[in-house]
Parts: sequence; C-alpha cells; structure tokens
Amino acid sequence: MPTLLIVDDHACFRAIARTALGERFRVVGEAADGAHAVALARELRPEVVLLDVQLPDTDGFTVAADLAAQDHPPVVVLTSSCDRSDFAPLLRQSRVRGFIEKERLSADALADLLG
Amino acid sequence: VAVSEVASVGQASRREEPLRGRLLVATRGALLVLGVAAGVALIVIPASRVPLAGHPADFVLVIALGWSFIGCGLIVWQRWPIAGPGALMVGVGFVWFAARLALVSGWSPLFTGGMWLSDLWPALFTVFIVSFPRATPKSRGGWLLAAPFLFVLVPLEFVWLLFFDPGSGSPANELLVWDKPAVASALDLTQRVILLAASLVLAAALARRWLTATAARRVSLTPVLVGACAVLLSSSLAVQARYGATPHWLQLVVLAAWALVPAAVLVDVLRARLARSAVSDLVVELSANPAPAVLRDALARALGDPKLRLAFWLPEFRTYAGPDGLRIDLEPAPDQEITVVERGRRPVAALVHDAALRSQPELLDGVVAAAGIALENARLQSELRAQMAELRASRARLVEAGDSARRRLERNLHDGAQQRLVALSVALGLAESKIANNPEAAAALLCSARADLAVGLEELREIARGLHPAILSRGLEVALEGLVDRSPVPVELKVELDGRSSEQVEAAAYYVVAEALTNVARYADAAAAQVTVHAEPESLRVQVVDDGVGGAIVAPGSGLQGLRDRVEAIGGHLDLQSPVGGGTRLTSYLPWTERDPE
Repeated sequence: MPTLLIVDDHACFRAIARTALGERFRVVGEAADGAHAVALARELRPEVVLLDVQLPDTDGFTVAADLAAQDHPPVVVLTSSCDRSDFAPLLRQSRVRGFIEKERLSADALADLLG
Repeated sequence: VAVSEVASVGQASRREEPLRGRLLVATRGALLVLGVAAGVALIVIPASRVPLAGHPADFVLVIALGWSFIGCGLIVWQRWPIAGPGALMVGVGFVWFAARLALVSGWSPLFTGGMWLSDLWPALFTVFIVSFPRATPKSRGGWLLAAPFLFVLVPLEFVWLLFFDPGSGSPANELLVWDKPAVASALDLTQRVILLAASLVLAAALARRWLTATAARRVSLTPVLVGACAVLLSSSLAVQARYGATPHWLQLVVLAAWALVPAAVLVDVLRARLARSAVSDLVVELSANPAPAVLRDALARALGDPKLRLAFWLPEFRTYAGPDGLRIDLEPAPDQEITVVERGRRPVAALVHDAALRSQPELLDGVVAAAGIALENARLQSELRAQMAELRASRARLVEAGDSARRRLERNLHDGAQQRLVALSVALGLAESKIANNPEAAAALLCSARADLAVGLEELREIARGLHPAILSRGLEVALEGLVDRSPVPVELKVELDGRSSEQVEAAAYYVVAEALTNVARYADAAAAQVTVHAEPESLRVQVVDDGVGGAIVAPGSGLQGLRDRVEAIGGHLDLQSPVGGGTRLTSYLPWTERDPE
C-alpha cells in the first residue's frame, strides 16, 4: 500500500479521510498546517500527500512547491471544499498530480488519480 | 456676547503672574528714578556748558521733551503692556537725555558718543511714529519709511565723525581720523538732504494713513502726524541752516511739538481710544474678509498678541476645536490665560492669550464683541467640519464592519457547516461502498453521519440568526424574548410598545440588546440585568442596565463602536454610562419611523 500524509486544518475531515482512504493507503501521518506538513514529509517521506488548499498559515500551492523541492518529492494531490473552478489558473500552473473536491474524496478516486 | 474667564485654567497662570508683574513694576520704578535724575543732572550742570543755551525756552523744552517721553512712556507701558509703544517711548526719552548729558560731560569719549547719540534720536523717533500704535512697524512699508533715517544717522553719521573736527572750543572728537573739513561738510550736506527727502515721504505717508483711517483711528493718529510734520520742519531747518540763519522760534515749535506727542499718546491710552481704534480696525478687516481662516490672525493683530490661539467649542463632541474642526488642547503657556467667549450663556470660543492683556479689559472686551458674529460663524464652520469628518469616519467604519462581518461569516461557514457537509459526503460515499459487503460497518457510518448532520444544522441556524434574526418578523418583543432566554445572566425584560416601527429601527433595537447582553455575559460579571423598551413620542428608547463591574468604553473597533455607528446611521443616538464598579447603563434613542404597510 502506498504511504499517505493527510494535510488539513479540520480534525473532523482528517478523521473521515483516514477512515475512507485507509483501505487502499497506509496513512503515516496527519498535519494541520503547512509548516508541519513540510516537516513531516521530510521526516516520513510519504509517497503521496493529500493537501488541503486553505491552510491557516499558508496555502496548499505554496506547500506543494516546497514539497516538490525536497530530495524525495512526494506525489501531491490537492483537495478543497471549494470548487475546482475557484483555483483553475493556479492548478494549471502548479506541478501537482491532481485535485479532488473534498466531498468526492474516496480511496478509489485517489487511486484513480495516481494511476 | 459675554466674556468670562475659566476659573480652573485661569488660576494656574494667575499664580505665575505676580513675580513677573512685580519685576516689571520694579523695573519701571527704577527707570522713573533714573529719568528724573537725568533731567535733574542736565539742570544742575552749568548752563554755560549746555550747547542749546541760546534761550531759556530751549532749555525748558529740552528737559520737558525727555521727561515727557520717559514719564508718559512709563504710564503707557503699564496700561498697555503687550506690544504697546510704552517701552519704546521710554527708550526714546533716555536716548534724548543721554545724548545731552554726554555732550555736556566735557570728557571727549563721552562727548563723541553724545554727538552720535544726539543725531540718532530722530531715527528712533521715526521708528516710534511709524510703528504707532505698536512697538515695531507692522509692515515692511513701515520699516522702509524709517530706513533712510536709520541709514543716515547710524552708518553715515559714523563716517562723518571720521572727518569732523568740532574745533577748539569743545572736547575732541575721538573718532576723528582724517581732519578734512571739506569732506565732513559734504557728508553733512548729503545727510541733511537725504533726511529732508525722507521726512517729506514720512509726512506724506502718515498724512495718507490719517486720511484713509476711520474716525476713531484719526484721533489716535493725529499726535504722530504732528510729530512727523515736526520732523519735516526740523529737516527743512537743518538744510536751510547750511545757507543762513534760521528763525529760532521755529526750532522751539519743533521741540514743543515733539514734547507734546507722548502726552497726546498718553491721553489716548488713558481714554482707551487705542483700544477702540484697534476694535474699529478689526471691524473693517472682518467686514472685508470674514473668512474663519483669517479670524485668528485678525484677532491676534487687534490684540497685539501674535501667540494668540483660538478654539471653538463643539458641544456635540464636548471638546474645543480649531477652524478645521480638529480637536485642540487649550493648555495655556505659563504667561498665558484663557478667556471664554459666551453667547446666551453657552460657550462659543476660547482665546488663549497673553496674561498681560488682563490689564486692558476694554481692548479684550471690544475685540471679542466686534468679532462676535465672525466667531459664531467660525464656530459653526468648525462644527460642520468636525461633523463631516465624523460622518466620513463612521461611514468608513460601517463599510468595514460590513466587510468584516462577511469575512467572519465566510470563515464560520467554511470551518463549520461546510466541513461537516464535506465529511458527511465522504462518510456517505464510504457507507455506500460498504453496504453490500459489510452492512454493519455501513450502518455505524450512517449513524455517526446523522449525529454530524445534527451538529451541522445547529451551526447553520446559529449563523442564520447572526445574519438577520428571522424571528424579528414576528415582532420586536418576541425576538427580544429569544435573546433574553439565551442569556446566561438572568434578565428582566420590559417592553412597552403599541404598534410596530420600521424594520430598520426594530433591527437596530434588536442589535442594541443583543450586543449589550453579549457584553453583560462576557465582561460585566453581573448578577442580573434589565432590558427596557419604551415608546416615547418621537423615539424608541432601548435601555440595557446591569449591576456588574462597569468601566465599559466605546473603544475604536469594538462592538459598541459598531453599534453606535449603526444607531447613528439611522439618526439615533447611543449613550453609555459605565462608572467603574457602578454597573453599566446603555441607552439608545432610535427615531420612531412607521412600518411600511405590508
């Protein structure tokens, strides 16, 4: 099973994501803000990072860029409770694997995106 | 218009005053003794050594002139201490005596100084008459009139002394370097001619000033005009003397005219005519340009107090403000005093002026009376500007309050209901995928999803209530009962209303109570509170009283500030009384407007 780091500032979402994704991914960690996410990714070297766009200290695109610059960059999938259209230009520019609306999140949807 | 002094602030400066006052009295006393002594010295020195001994009348007039300037100058100084001509008059008198005493001293260095001083005197006298009624010329024009006299009688006189030999019958000229009678004579003639021309201009300028002055002002200007004419006569005689003898009686006329000038000025001061002429100048000036921006300068000129400060009372803001409507601190300097101008027992303005003006009440009263309407106008303008500034600020605050409320709402929606719904969506998806293979797990997921949904719905209700209390449509009283029910502090609610006011007013009343009860719960540490809503003839009075710790203020950016803006935006008025330890009483008066028929 691929290893996964979940980054979101809402505990209730992290809990349900862990449950929903646990069937096909090994969740190695959870982070509630961008700084913690970058530190955990460096330490745990997850293969995949599920990254919320709106974080309390920064935004997901900035964190994604930081992660891409690491020695063993993880595959990043962004997620948000906002609509894809809200971030369309930023999504085109960033080098993340994809974007999943939060309400559509499931283990299958994430696995499909990773191919 | 009434004038009164602010006792509390006035007293601080009054305590400072006596020392300065005593020093001035002592100085003037010493100068009086010195002046009398100088005259007496001239009298007791053998007349044979006095150059002007041609006639006893000469001698009498020389003494009279000095005493006149010193004596009258001292009284004028006392009666008109601020920027008045008194000190200058005393100085002119002393220069006169000093020159005469030096000339008869028989000691050549003093004699040399005396020659120079005796010719310096007309220059000082000219400064005095062009400055009158002030201590220094008020414009560059005044200095230009005096400038030729100062030039001829200071630097040019010095050059002349380098060449002039007074001859064997008198003490030596210590400044003599080149004994060239021809050069000295040419310089002397040049001086006399320049002085004659300058005297003509001076007399013409003063005559013009006299002709264009108001009647009250003319009376004051007459003595100095006579003085200027005497200067012109004296200069003419000086030129004529180069070519032959001059009638002696004309010299006496000049001296007599000069000696009478200070006495005439004194009479003027004693009759407060100068105050009246300053006031009439002010009236003319204000009728030409009544703009509030120039009012302070006009008053400062009329009072002769360049440091004068002017502030207007704005009752709505309970503060003094400048013509721009900005708050002013009245704190007077140690030598200043505050005079409050009142109209119908209500303060209009405050003048922070030199404490010495207290000895010229007729000037202060006259100036304040003359400026009455202009002061009232300037006060209104200041008030208008302050109101406009306040309006701009409150409008900006209302917009900002709206923006920040929307931001808060977005935050609450995003962090609360939206996250719950998102989690529910994921949970339901998960349950759906499990329902075939693992129905128990699916059932457990659905059970917890339902609990989450209940929490999410409650959060949505809370947000909707904050947006606009829907219950208000059922009436203000019912809506307020809801607020009271939710308050953690026991609240007694009393509503006396018949009929309903407009939605705007009811919403404002609701928010007043909501904000007040929130504050009671958060900060007041109160045991109980009362909410009273009472319909008055023109307004709706909403009052929230608690028995808590008090000390509440309308801080910038606070909920109370937002509340005040909201209430004032619909023409209402919010009053907060919250003494420390004495509970808090928040009262708002909202203009009663009828509800539109639905």
